[in-house]
Amino acid sequence: MTAVSTPAVPASEEEARPHKGGHLKPSYWPFVLPALLVVGAVILFPWVFTIWMSLNEWRVGSDTSFVGLANYIRLATDMRFLESLWHTILYTVLSVVAPLILGTAAALAFNTKLPFRGLLRGIFVMPMMATPVAIALVWTMMFHPQLGVLNYLLSLVGIPPQAWVFHPASVIPSLVLVETWQWTPLVMLIVLGGLAAIPQEPYESAQIDGANAWQKFRYITLPMISPFLMVAVIIRTIDALKSFDIIYAITQGGPGTASETINLYLYSVAFAYYDVGYGSAIAVVFFLLIILLSLVLLHLRQRAAWSSGDGK
Amino acid sequence: MASVTIRDVRKSFGAVDIIKGVSIDIQDGEFVILVGPSGCGKSTLLRMIAGLEDISGGEIRIGSRVVNNVPPKDRDIAMVFQNYALYPHMTVAQNMAFSLKLKRSPQGEIDERVARAAEILGLKPLLERFPRQLSGGQRQRVAMGRAIVRDPQVFLFDEPLSNLDAKLRVAMRAEIKALHQRLKTTTIYVTHDQIEAMTMADKIVVMHDGIVEQMGAPLELYDRPANLFVAGFIGSPAMNFIKGNVGSNGFKAESGQTFPLAAAPAASDGRPMVYGIRPEHIRLTDEGVPVEVVVIEPTGSETQIIVRPAGERDKPVADHSSAITCVLKDRIAARPGDVIRIAPDPKSIHLFDESGRRV
Amino acid sequence: MNLRKIVHGTWMAFCVFLLVSPALFFFIWMLSLSLKYEIDNGAYPPILIPERIAWKNYAGVFESNNFLLYFKNSIIVTGGATLLALMVGVPAGYGIARMRATKSAMVIMIARMTPGLSFLIPLFLLFQWLGLLGTLVPQILIHLVVTVPIVIWIMISYFETTPLELEEAAMIDGATRWQVFRNVALPIAKPGIVVAFILSVIFSWNNFVFGIVLASRETRTLPVAVYNMLSFEQVSWGPLAAAALIVTLPVLILTIVAQRQIIAGLTAGAVKGG
Repeated sequence: MTAVSTPAVPASEEEARPHKGGHLKPSYWPFVLPALLVVGAVILFPWVFTIWMSLNEWRVGSDTSFVGLANYIRLATDMRFLESLWHTILYTVLSVVAPLILGTAAALAFNTKLPFRGLLRGIFVMPMMATPVAIALVWTMMFHPQLGVLNYLLSLVGIPPQAWVFHPASVIPSLVLVETWQWTPLVMLIVLGGLAAIPQEPYESAQIDGANAWQKFRYITLPMISPFLMVAVIIRTIDALKSFDIIYAITQGGPGTASETINLYLYSVAFAYYDVGYGSAIAVVFFLLIILLSLVLLHLRQRAAWSSGDGK
Repeated sequence: MASVTIRDVRKSFGAVDIIKGVSIDIQDGEFVILVGPSGCGKSTLLRMIAGLEDISGGEIRIGSRVVNNVPPKDRDIAMVFQNYALYPHMTVAQNMAFSLKLKRSPQGEIDERVARAAEILGLKPLLERFPRQLSGGQRQRVAMGRAIVRDPQVFLFDEPLSNLDAKLRVAMRAEIKALHQRLKTTTIYVTHDQIEAMTMADKIVVMHDGIVEQMGAPLELYDRPANLFVAGFIGSPAMNFIKGNVGSNGFKAESGQTFPLAAAPAASDGRPMVYGIRPEHIRLTDEGVPVEVVVIEPTGSETQIIVRPAGERDKPVADHSSAITCVLKDRIAARPGDVIRIAPDPKSIHLFDESGRRV
Repeated sequence: MNLRKIVHGTWMAFCVFLLVSPALFFFIWMLSLSLKYEIDNGAYPPILIPERIAWKNYAGVFESNNFLLYFKNSIIVTGGATLLALMVGVPAGYGIARMRATKSAMVIMIARMTPGLSFLIPLFLLFQWLGLLGTLVPQILIHLVVTVPIVIWIMISYFETTPLELEEAAMIDGATRWQVFRNVALPIAKPGIVVAFILSVIFSWNNFVFGIVLASRETRTLPVAVYNMLSFEQVSWGPLAAAALIVTLPVLILTIVAQRQIIAGLTAGAVKGG
């Protein structure tokens, strides 16, 4: 232990020099690399390639030529696209608002001591996990104007039969009904997570201050779950914009094009007409629309989180 | 076993310097405790010795080998963590055998060494249990067992007792000390608890703000603290500090009272100084300094009283600046508000200059 | 006081009934449709519980010679995409969590925002060019678009909560980086892997849009096959509902059995994901 062995020291000092700093922290790149390759191949490559295709006249099975922004210019005057944009907005707004209200109400109900709470929650969550196509088929049967069970149920309370998805005026609200039925549970789960995070003391203190049930909800619960509500709004918005399976399986965008959203139009252009260049331009615009909306909502969330963190 | 040499070691996270040049020599077989308030850099230093943090400057040697760039697994050390860091998915036996398994030691040797460590620590009946089925003290022992099994050059302990309750902590303190006396492995132990440091260490290193304030044997630090920080940190209750200056017949406090001195230091006339006296070095005598009793705290074996110069009755309760704590072996009849006379033992007085250094 | 409790209890029970009834009614009705003969399914007013139960609807689904093939396809695609996603996604989640590179996970978030169809166009062309159409390979690969982000996302949030001290202890015990992962981090993360596995399986199993474009007659997965029953065969409700129920039954069972994991996974992803 006393005498320094001469060969060892220079060797180790030499060793010390080349990797000065950061040497001991193991590199985690090898763990990430395979995923990076996969993400590059199936996510990043499609993004880049989509942008490239959108700048070309590109049909499956024929020659391609670079056309610059021509596809985008075509989009701006494409009535069918603008119509689908309107359908998408209508569909999205309704499919965010309805699940948000119902989901919050459900979360408040599930946040109490209920018998069979776990089982009930399991049943409640089932619509969102079930295979969308399977659900869509059954809804189609239920929407049937003559034989469907929905019109029968309406007749029980004296409401005349509806055309549901078979009439242009009622098709989008009917699809929203399915979407709401399907996705209210997700809002419920998110809000329930928020409710679980609220401590008991503010309620007890409010009770002593003389607040009634509504006031407790308005001044304690609502501000404290508002960040969670914003998360629900963001996720719901993204999912509603992207909604495809339900609409495609029930109406294929019909009757006519009455329920054709951007996503369905994109499908038709790309895989019915095989006009992949123009389809890519739609995809790019659609993607930008989603990102833009998400950013706006994220910004709002930051403000919501900030003001509730402020205790206001 | 090996010595550990720390030479001018530095650590910075970005622009923040955590450790600002620390040098410590640790002899083979020594039990060294790094102690200091939280944020002083003691844990970071330990983690640098372990190889869990990079060294920004200086060098650390284990034995004769510079280990700056040696990964932890090749440093031949063992470490006991604050939260024990037992692998929750392994039994006690598997926890202890893990390092040997990684080394591909033969199964017979593994079993033998685990059995011996279990014997030493009294873990035999627990070998097949999982960590979640153990009490805090048992987990602590398993963590030590895991260290012992490896028979390393150096043991590192990172606040190992701070998650235990007071009673168990005292018991484990004695156990760790006994273990060290038996195994004689070089040990570096980090704690913020100065009593742990005093009772267990061969050598204490007091750290503060990334530097070593003082190092030495426990009683050396107690008897001759090098500066105000160490004087205030070591010893409980803490040393009393009285501001003032050295006069012709003793120490003149700012409150106007005069405290006795054994011998006035040379060339100190008139400069502001701090007079330090430990609570246990104050007696009650009829000739002492008159003070007023504020609080009396009998603990049974001794009595702690807090006093302050007479005539400061109207000072706010929270103003402790002139309070003096005394620890007396005897029970006393005084009550709060009474005036008593105290006399510091002139031989146990510490004087510090303006910069806080011992005079 | 007691009366108030009873009133409150009744009110809560009513609320919950109201909440659960749409889901409950739907699935009961689905079951009812699948067990009725055409006569009963066409009856008005509708019949909930028929006098004669049409087991033949289910028998018919299984007898149709391609159904078992489609079932096998679904298992291969979902299984393949999930296993591959776990193989690359679990280590990636670990690496990202340990590098504290959670910003890089933005890619994952954006991938989640991107409509599936926009991956489909370029990958369709790529698979066509590679001559892979007509095999199950394109579907397995494109399902990675769904499964890899799920797995990475869940594993990041899981590894972020596992204590670093354990891994440091293992490093001191002599483990290499890989051994730390294999022997310490991975076993501890088992519950997180289960969550990632379940969600990956469900979302891959349910996927429809990739299949309708990429699947040929021989390589259809169950959702596509069921949808095609609607389009090309003479629509009769009983067998169709039976097929729909068979397709979604594995998922429904999983939802009930693994409810806790599913909820944990969805909310962890959701709440952090915002």
